[in-house]
Amino acid sequence: MTIVDNIRTYLVKNPIVGVCLLYYLLMALMVPGFFSANNSWNLVYNFIPLLILAVGQTFVILTAGIDLSITSIIAVSSVVGGYLMSSDVGLVDGSKWSMLLGIGGMLSVGVIIGLINGISVAKLKMPAFMVTLTSLMFFSGFAIWITQSQNIYNLPALLVDAPYHSFLGLPLPVYLAVLVFTSCYLLLNKTLLGEWVYAVGTNIKTSWISGINIPLTLVSVYVISGVCASLASLIYTARLETGSPVMGQNVLLDVIGAVIIGGTSLFGGRGKLQWTAAGALLMTMLDNSLNLVGMSFFLIMMVKGAIILLTALYNQLGSKSLTHA
Amino acid sequence: MSRYLLYPIWILLVVCSCSHQRERPLIGISFETLQTEYWVASVEAVKAECIKNGYDFVVAIANGDANRQFEQINNFISLGVAGIVIAPKDSHTVIPIIKAANRANIPIAVYNRVPASNLGDYVTVVADNLEISKNTVTYMCELAEKSGKKHQALIVLGDLGDINAVNRRAGFNQAVAAFPETIEVVAEVPSEWNQEKALAGVTNALQANPDISFIFTSSDFLFPAIISAMKTADKYYPIGHEKHVIFGGFDGDAMAYRLLQEKYLDADGVQDVFYECEASVQAVIKKLNGEPVESTIIDPGFVIHQDNLEQMAGKMWGASF
Amino acid sequence: MLKLHHIGKSFGPVEVLKDITLEVKTGETLGLVGENGAGKSTMMNILGGIFAPTTGKIEFNGQAFEPVEVSESQQSGIAFIHQELNLFPNLSIKENLFISAFPKKQGFFNTIIDQKSLSSQASALLAEVGLSVSPSTLIGKLTNGQQQLVEIAKALNGRPKLIIFDEPTTALSQQETDRLLQLINSLKEKHISMIFISHNLDEVKSIADHIAVIRDGALIRMQEAEIYSKKEIIRDMVGRDLDQFFPIRSTHPTESVSLEIQDLNADGKNDLSFSIREKEVLGLYGLVGAGRSEMARGLYGMEKLYGGQVRWKGAQMHKLTPQNWIRHGVVYLTEDRREEGILAFKSIRKNVQLAALPRFIQRFGGWLDYRSIKREVSSKVKATRVKYQDLEIQPVSELSGGNQQKVLLSRWLMTNPSLLILDEPTKGIDIGAREEIYQLINQLVEQGSCVLLISSEIEELLGMCDRIMVMNQGALTAEFNRSEFDQSAILKHALKAAHD
Repeated sequence: MTIVDNIRTYLVKNPIVGVCLLYYLLMALMVPGFFSANNSWNLVYNFIPLLILAVGQTFVILTAGIDLSITSIIAVSSVVGGYLMSSDVGLVDGSKWSMLLGIGGMLSVGVIIGLINGISVAKLKMPAFMVTLTSLMFFSGFAIWITQSQNIYNLPALLVDAPYHSFLGLPLPVYLAVLVFTSCYLLLNKTLLGEWVYAVGTNIKTSWISGINIPLTLVSVYVISGVCASLASLIYTARLETGSPVMGQNVLLDVIGAVIIGGTSLFGGRGKLQWTAAGALLMTMLDNSLNLVGMSFFLIMMVKGAIILLTALYNQLGSKSLTHA
Repeated sequence: MSRYLLYPIWILLVVCSCSHQRERPLIGISFETLQTEYWVASVEAVKAECIKNGYDFVVAIANGDANRQFEQINNFISLGVAGIVIAPKDSHTVIPIIKAANRANIPIAVYNRVPASNLGDYVTVVADNLEISKNTVTYMCELAEKSGKKHQALIVLGDLGDINAVNRRAGFNQAVAAFPETIEVVAEVPSEWNQEKALAGVTNALQANPDISFIFTSSDFLFPAIISAMKTADKYYPIGHEKHVIFGGFDGDAMAYRLLQEKYLDADGVQDVFYECEASVQAVIKKLNGEPVESTIIDPGFVIHQDNLEQMAGKMWGASF
Repeated sequence: MLKLHHIGKSFGPVEVLKDITLEVKTGETLGLVGENGAGKSTMMNILGGIFAPTTGKIEFNGQAFEPVEVSESQQSGIAFIHQELNLFPNLSIKENLFISAFPKKQGFFNTIIDQKSLSSQASALLAEVGLSVSPSTLIGKLTNGQQQLVEIAKALNGRPKLIIFDEPTTALSQQETDRLLQLINSLKEKHISMIFISHNLDEVKSIADHIAVIRDGALIRMQEAEIYSKKEIIRDMVGRDLDQFFPIRSTHPTESVSLEIQDLNADGKNDLSFSIREKEVLGLYGLVGAGRSEMARGLYGMEKLYGGQVRWKGAQMHKLTPQNWIRHGVVYLTEDRREEGILAFKSIRKNVQLAALPRFIQRFGGWLDYRSIKREVSSKVKATRVKYQDLEIQPVSELSGGNQQKVLLSRWLMTNPSLLILDEPTKGIDIGAREEIYQLINQLVEQGSCVLLISSEIEELLGMCDRIMVMNQGALTAEFNRSEFDQSAILKHALKAAHD
């Protein structure tokens, strides 16, 4: 086996990676301003929160569920974080302590809403789609209600400047993304929970007979997704310098799109975090490149929708030919 | 084999729709939304002004997502635009955007909304919401006074997180305060810039206060909801009819123009979109040329009503649809 | 129609066929059974012209028959339907049907394919096999059963006098199998002779006029299907009496009770009480619908339970869930392998490791110890003799039913169970794999486990169990110790109440 052969087998098994590379090359050649240091950093910045959200969503989709509530988690986290940190509210003096409290508060929002979702799906056996749609409506409304549609600003300088701080030449959000991705990767591929997630998504009856703790598995994936949403909310809140009850309202399509484009099956049991990362990168590049050429917003929506559909179709064909082989 | 063909096909699709080259300097136009005629008319006017001055443009619409707008502006900056015209999602989230533009040394004009803090270097172009709505409502109050009857009034509010909505409400309040004998405000209906909420709110208010005969809406785009509620309450009749309700709006969109022509609407406060858009683009160009620009440009707007309809229609953006 | 006179075949010193003489008459169906490696394939290869017999003569259609190549056999009117289908998935049905002889148009040196007559001939053939799809459909879009029918249509196109079916039903669903058997019956009426090879004795018995059993290259017996009992067939196939077909255990049940059940109520009506002792195989017999599986599933925590007391090794069991049972060493092998047994598109290793994973959590960091997992999985699949190509890559759905069952057994062996509840463990499994499963059960029992064996095959229970309980309409109606085993008495108890 030569290196070329290795690369070829890798690309056949992970087609989305090849697509990403190809798209990057094409855009670098064709779109002025795409292949520049400045824009590359742009890609990285835009990629990070989407990656974090999509990684969390992948866990849920692997169990054949779906988490529609992430946008409401982003909003509630942003608002709660805003209240805890803003000097206008002034709960705690000193930006360091208020920041710690704020981040803690934001993460607990993710944990709590994740628990509510997970317990409803696992214990009350309600369909994930219904549960998380209800959460989405309830908590979006909740965020708007407690703030009366007002934004919260005057956040601590430490938080607002964090996205622009660097450590060893890399901005802080990059470290957050690497941390989230690596720990989720290890969790999914090296631990009992990871094996259970795949098993539950593949065949829930088999999993039950085989003694898998299904409630624990399901609750865990929704909590993971919730925490990821809170972390993404932290980045959004910091860089918009605002706690907003409508934060991240339109990000859902991009997140689920990234997971599906990556190749993870909506029916559960099939998929990888690496694929999701590539899918999220592709979504980011699409947005960025279509923006750069000034394609109209509606056309961008249509192109994205078409791509998600084509990919879902492709994956459907792929899995069919597998079962026939 | 078809599996391996799918991906290249759409990549080609995208690439084909992308490839055209530019030589003239670029202006980045970022709008929060295109969901009402007002924004569509504004975007078109900004584009036209760019072309008139020899600039090329890129447009990005954030679809109501502040974060996306932030990312889009960053994309503009790395694309190397010469200047930016932005209609921001709200007055807070525009602040980091202004900071980013300032960091990159790109002039930025903020259209239609005043940023919440005056840090940073930018030009705001905004209609004088308070004055325009005050003038509009005053005109309506004079009509009411002429009728000789006492009127119960209703105002449909916008999103009170939006400074424009707050100012329009203030203008309304100042105007009616001058006519304590004629006008009694019995209902304030919050809409949060949402048709469904406006419909429900106005329907309820008309039920609770069946004698309402004076309605002002903070934005024209809520007309369909309000009219539907008025029809339910048997209050939608043209001027001159005994059941006619004194009816006014704000914006100057196409529906307002039509209602004026059909004599259902008494008065409408018009934002001079053409003037505002021209001023935004001009502000950016002046900054590029190093000329001084005022940091806030006010659009005085005007009131259009049955008596001046023909002479002012040419300046009303909604009339050109 | 077909006569074999003293056919023998040797490869060097190895004699694979010994002096076989048999006859298939016109319009008659011969069922041919035997274990893998008994010589069935060699015989078929001789008929197919792949190699010639060392001794003996074949007579076909009244003439001496000495085919030297495959096409010759086909031209004389013999057609083969194999277990693996020989169709091109990317061509249409009609193209597949006429792949060797397209109807040509007159003129142009007869090179142009006559599409019209191609379609009409294809439709006629499809109607003959009862397949109602357009002849232009691609083969790849058809189910296995439909493809099998196309294969038969293709064979019929050559107007064969003899069709040989080599395990045609292995890849088919029950419904498709029924349809195929119907079709074969209708072919009989057209005076086509057939040889039908299958592991499934019920199928063979239902369709064949005569059954021939081959063992170690020799014809053991050929008899009318009606009077050749399944028991006799199996005995002839394996060369032992039925009792010996079930291996003998070296141990006997001890006195200590492992599982004790009191007033277990799984259907809301009947209270069941029984116990299982260490090193015991307890059989549970009953008709389908008698409530056997419901009882086991209720006990194991998969279906609702209305009441009852369960003691495991002397201690009261409170939480009856699979998770808790497995922790205590009790496992349940499901009857429904496909729906709740396998993880279909996952590898063999992922399937085997599933239930035992918590055992492999490392003390530091909580990671799974994949090296040990892989080592143990491969030792377990060796112990259960799963036939596979790759533990890591091959999806379990690619394996045959018997091998899938062995994979599931391996999964449970990984948990070191003390009680195995086996629900129809040999359903749809060939005889070889069956025997291996019986041996495995005995090994486990000899090592100290006990087994609750649920089956609708009374021979299996008679052969394997120390004790048999009979269930009828949700109630336990009788119990027999090994010394009192009596097939007709057991059957009577299973059926009796149904008539009351």
